[in-house]
Amino acid sequence: MGYGSTGKLLRVDLTRGAISIEEFDEAFYRLYPGGKALAAYLLLRETAPGVDPLGPDNVLALINGLITGAPISTATRFTAAARSPLTTAYGESEAGGFWGPELKLAGWEGMVITGRAERPVYIAIKDDQVEIRDARHLWGQEPAPVQAAIREELGDRLTRVLQTGIGGENRVRYAALINDLRHFNGRSGMGAVMGSKNLKAIAVRGAGKYSDLAHDPQAVAELGRRIAKRVKEHPQSWDLQEKGTPGLVSGLNAGGILPTRNFHAGAFEGVDKIKWEAYEKELLSARRSCYACAIRCKREVKVDDRYQVSDVYGGPEYETIGGFGPNCGIDDLQAIAKANELCGRYTLDSISTGAVVAFAMECFEHGLITPAQTGGAAWRFGDAAAMLQIVDWIAHRQGIGDLLAEGTRRAAEVIGGDARYFAMHVKGQELPMHEPRGKVGVGLGYAINEGGADHLVAFHDPTYANPNSLTFKAAAELGVADPLPPRELSPRKAEAYARLENWSSFGKVIGFCYFGPAPRSLIQVGEVVEAVRAASGWDFDKDELLRIGERATNLARVFNAREGLSRKDDRLPDRLFEPLESGALQGIGMSREEFETAMTALYRAKGWDPATARPTPERLAALGIGWAADLLT
Amino acid sequence: MQLHLGGHFNWYDPQKRAWLAIPLAAPVSLRTLLEQLHVPPAEVAILTVNGRLARLEGAVVSDGDRVEVYPAIGGG
Repeated sequence: MGYGSTGKLLRVDLTRGAISIEEFDEAFYRLYPGGKALAAYLLLRETAPGVDPLGPDNVLALINGLITGAPISTATRFTAAARSPLTTAYGESEAGGFWGPELKLAGWEGMVITGRAERPVYIAIKDDQVEIRDARHLWGQEPAPVQAAIREELGDRLTRVLQTGIGGENRVRYAALINDLRHFNGRSGMGAVMGSKNLKAIAVRGAGKYSDLAHDPQAVAELGRRIAKRVKEHPQSWDLQEKGTPGLVSGLNAGGILPTRNFHAGAFEGVDKIKWEAYEKELLSARRSCYACAIRCKREVKVDDRYQVSDVYGGPEYETIGGFGPNCGIDDLQAIAKANELCGRYTLDSISTGAVVAFAMECFEHGLITPAQTGGAAWRFGDAAAMLQIVDWIAHRQGIGDLLAEGTRRAAEVIGGDARYFAMHVKGQELPMHEPRGKVGVGLGYAINEGGADHLVAFHDPTYANPNSLTFKAAAELGVADPLPPRELSPRKAEAYARLENWSSFGKVIGFCYFGPAPRSLIQVGEVVEAVRAASGWDFDKDELLRIGERATNLARVFNAREGLSRKDDRLPDRLFEPLESGALQGIGMSREEFETAMTALYRAKGWDPATARPTPERLAALGIGWAADLLT
Repeated sequence: MQLHLGGHFNWYDPQKRAWLAIPLAAPVSLRTLLEQLHVPPAEVAILTVNGRLARLEGAVVSDGDRVEVYPAIGGG
């Protein structure tokens, strides 16, 4: 009888070309049941302080969660983690698709990749057969031909390929990993880390079954069937199936929280051209799914009109539409789809790339980037041709694209002047397309998250604002006592945030996507507990699940503290403290005083020292990771 | 009036329409109207009437109004 894990890590040292197996026991896994927890543990244990993010000594950890690969909708995710080249802090990004489950079914809980190959290579895994193969002929190629070539070489058209592309090879600091050509570990620059190791791809095929790993496979399967049956009867999952994340555009615009022109405004005059109804009419070609997921939220697009957009790399998600659309002042949905395709072809994080384009446009409009640097083009807000040119230049590090490939923080330092003010980042990672001035808890998340600005680190404020809503009921179950208005920036908001962050962090440990469990609530809190118990056999309750999430966050925080990060790094861009220029929240900005007070309350709620923003030894001990306190002395 | 059932709210319409044209002989409470359409008022997070943000409590709508309602929106 299993406990949901294969109990094995695959270690690959690319410098020596050495492959080895590490086995761990159940007691260890109870403490670090995969994903973010196990990845952060490995990074803390196996990287030296100050390790060069793009050097051979950085560790790239690719780690499944306990539930990854279970036949339950949204149990698809794996974590990619390393010291981030973008932030130089703890770096992490989760992806769905098929690669993580396939790795698990091949017998591996995860991979730990170290060193640097002398020449480009890829790793081929078929169950316990692992081989490092020459990839010189694949270097410089785009993901689609690379995947086709690897499948051809291995004689297996179903092998799942995780890879980085030209962005990663060129060490664009926000380069992504891509699997099955459409699922991304986008954030934190994991593609650059993989590229820096001369590692082009990892192909995996597994013949195992999750039922052989689970404690109670019948209970897991029954839960999976029960949840799948309910997808069309649950309004939120039905909505995701019908529209996917592009369905978010018009609501955020109506609420005045659609980031527009580099976060100057909260509503976009061209919204009707980019909202879901336009997407369905102009772009949509099909709907697709991740492994075993009945929601099917992925969009496929194909365009042969003003732009040619292939259906190879998947369709733009909300973040990508927001980033290349309103935040760049662009209302041409086909151009946005083209930018999304370029991010797939070049393996770039579309959130950071969109934000860098917006930054470059604002710099141009203020004369900080000149026509002499753009090849004569006018990089103004609203110019779709400029947007596509910038993405292309970033990927190839052409001209000033070489600087923009470093991210907004580094680029602003070089450009100087007001450019620092235009760089919308936290810890060097660019803001996602959610406006903290209208949902301030999202701002707390941007500020405190160890990997920099991220929108998937906790519930968004509107989900726990309305006392009778389904989403508030989930928040209440997790310990949020009172509904709180979305713009209330207060100590009690910070305390609620801390509880809910632990839940989201737990999801990143265990392998659940954000779109299944509460707050989306297709999968209720109690059912998540049920899933963990059925998979592992452990007698965990929801408080223990929250503790798992908290443990993972604390490990990441210790990593950052060890690298010298402190409270001063948990900051937000100045612009967020200024009033929005238009939209339903016109004139509204965040209060610095309220923000600092809330952050102090947040550190206290987490058991961290508000002065240093470090976990206290007592808190680490209470979480079962007292050993980590030794790394802070 | 024109009513937009934004986000997942059009799930509650039997025909899954995103926009409904509703003739109104007299002003009505928006809460009552949503209840008649089986859209749960408890889930309304964002409401605009003629492009301006409004609160559901006390909202009264008339023929000719353009109303948009959205549920709470999480990450995307």
